[in-house]
Amino acid sequence: MLGGYMGKVLDVNLSNGEMKAYALPERLLDLYVGNKGLGSRLLYELTPPGVDPLGSDNVLIITTAPLTGTGAPSSNRFNVTTKSPLTGAIVNSNCGGNFGVYLKKAGYDALIIRGKAARPSRLVIEEDRVEIMDAADLWGLDTHQAQEKLPAKTGKIVIGPAGENLVKYAAIVSGNRVAGRAGVGTVMGSKNLKAVTAAGNLKPQPAQEGLFKETCRKWRELSRSHPATGEQLPRFGTAAFVNICNATHTLPTRNFQSGQFEQAEAVSGETLAEKYLTGNEGCLGCPIACGRQVMLDGMKIKGPEYETVGLLGPNLAIGELEPIIEWNYLADLYGLDTISLGGVLGFVMEAGEKGLLKTDLAFGKTANITKAIEDIAYRRGFGDEMAEGTRFLAQKYGGMEFAMQSKGLELASYEPRGAVGHGLGYAVANRGGCHIAAGYCIYLEANGPITVDPLTVQGKPGLVILNQSTLEAISTLGCCIFTTYMMLPRKLLELNARSRFVSRMLRFGFQKGGNLIGRALALPAWTLPIKPPFISFPQAEAHAHCTGRRFTMGQMIELGKRALNMDRLYNVREGFSAKDDTLPARLTEELQRSEEPRSRVPLAQMLPRYYRMRGWSADGIPTEKTLRRLQIEQNNLL
Amino acid sequence: MVTVKLYASLRLNPEEKEFTSAAATVEEALEEAARRYGPAFKERLKHATVLVNGRHTAHLNRKKIRLQPGDTISLFPPLAGG
Repeated sequence: MLGGYMGKVLDVNLSNGEMKAYALPERLLDLYVGNKGLGSRLLYELTPPGVDPLGSDNVLIITTAPLTGTGAPSSNRFNVTTKSPLTGAIVNSNCGGNFGVYLKKAGYDALIIRGKAARPSRLVIEEDRVEIMDAADLWGLDTHQAQEKLPAKTGKIVIGPAGENLVKYAAIVSGNRVAGRAGVGTVMGSKNLKAVTAAGNLKPQPAQEGLFKETCRKWRELSRSHPATGEQLPRFGTAAFVNICNATHTLPTRNFQSGQFEQAEAVSGETLAEKYLTGNEGCLGCPIACGRQVMLDGMKIKGPEYETVGLLGPNLAIGELEPIIEWNYLADLYGLDTISLGGVLGFVMEAGEKGLLKTDLAFGKTANITKAIEDIAYRRGFGDEMAEGTRFLAQKYGGMEFAMQSKGLELASYEPRGAVGHGLGYAVANRGGCHIAAGYCIYLEANGPITVDPLTVQGKPGLVILNQSTLEAISTLGCCIFTTYMMLPRKLLELNARSRFVSRMLRFGFQKGGNLIGRALALPAWTLPIKPPFISFPQAEAHAHCTGRRFTMGQMIELGKRALNMDRLYNVREGFSAKDDTLPARLTEELQRSEEPRSRVPLAQMLPRYYRMRGWSADGIPTEKTLRRLQIEQNNLL
Repeated sequence: MVTVKLYASLRLNPEEKEFTSAAATVEEALEEAARRYGPAFKERLKHATVLVNGRHTAHLNRKKIRLQPGDTISLFPPLAGG
């Protein structure tokens, strides 16, 4: 057996109580490794085409990776994969809660949940016992109450009232961390499954323990000494992006009507740290510890992340942190995705302003938002319609041109008319309007230290491919994507800041050479046997020492491409194609700033090249040759 | 006059989030900031991102970027998040 794995998957059918534990074929693990990649492949094999996302035939898959639970820094994440009830596409939602570590302690690499329980249930997983138990006493409780009632010293996942009431963007909560996007909690609710706990004393064993520990030690040092992961994230959290996004016109404001908010400073990470921060709250085993613990009304609670601040703050024209902290807390209790929540509220406010629907919500007014969140979670009154998401509301009331979603998933907190490559990413992302699946190109365009022209299309398809492939691989290895920040070494950042020559070379290389990089990434893995000398890649090295298999940078990029193409293949089977790789007309047709003629996303100019470089047809579908190159097989591996 | 705004760990004095300057170029404004906040700040400037009216400047000659009245210079350390 490869190092790091526990060697079996737990497969539970809630309809008939059937439970099986079996080994995953080595070829499946070789090709898809864990977390996101493995989840995508399993969903493809385990669900029939056209499956109803909320029907008993849909499957909820929780995967870990070899690094999970081994002591590797920032790598204890687990992944939830299913067919989304919000989008109809595949969804992978990644979470830093403790459940993945405990699932491995109980002896399992992955959990497959099929069917639907007849009554509210919870699943108990231990080393020598798996049991479906009644959860009548938990049903109706919020996510904190439910977790408090579950046994201590277990890994937990739960849903809140939003999941129970099948709000289309309900989340799964583990401790204080959340698998938020595209309704993974809704699918759990549709299965009448309130909670899963896992416990045990087993431990994954790295194949080359000495080398593995040494790599992890160096990784931790690198993480702590890097200005981004060692200082900025721990001190100011992810919300430190508020001010730089505001400066670069990429902070969504008033439902993405503009990219700058006049009160950005008041809701920034700096203000959060200065006025509310009481401590850091990291994911299990993470040296970065970017999570916030804040004080509100005498209670120590989790503070909001950048995405939440952006979409419940500037996007609603709210310039105070206190209500945002409260709404974030409420959304966690109810088990709601704060990104989609902010997108829905922003749309309703603008649609109300334009007279398309009647609402008591308005930009800049905190009044009635708390009630709206409750109404959504419990599907009361108009909350029942808001619970269906932005696309549903626009289909019913009009305003599709300003419904800020792609493939039905509300856009994350970046206004892409200030960073057009990021816009391309939103459009082609298999999950829909998600910044991670989009590739987070904005970091090379606007809010990172090394940037290209944010408004040119030059090089952008290639850069999106580079970023997407890297993030997909990092997620598949089980690492936090924030570990990618330290891949740009401190010295390089200093050289970029101090030397105009170096900065110009980097800018030239990424912009003029962006598409060349994209084309180079289409080459087979053996063409990139060693990593480029100027970047750090401890994740790949740790994975190699953990599993005991050679794992080159070329293999890592190929893994990312395979995972992304697997998602694409799933969506194609569900009827998705180029017609779905779109953005709202506001972003492609309207200028963000009248004085800047390039401040819109010229999507049609970028898409054909992106498809070609990916090895997809003009209709956005992977060709046979591409699938063959990536060893994506049509026959089942399981 | 131009405004120089400081963010995150570049705010060594939490009470002072920005200052106004009569600098004629970006380079002059950076030198003024280094004098104002001392060696610890100067050290952090080594990897700072310098924006003028929201545009990155690392690839430009900062001695030659002439500032206009009302311009804003924003100084950020390397940030992360998402």
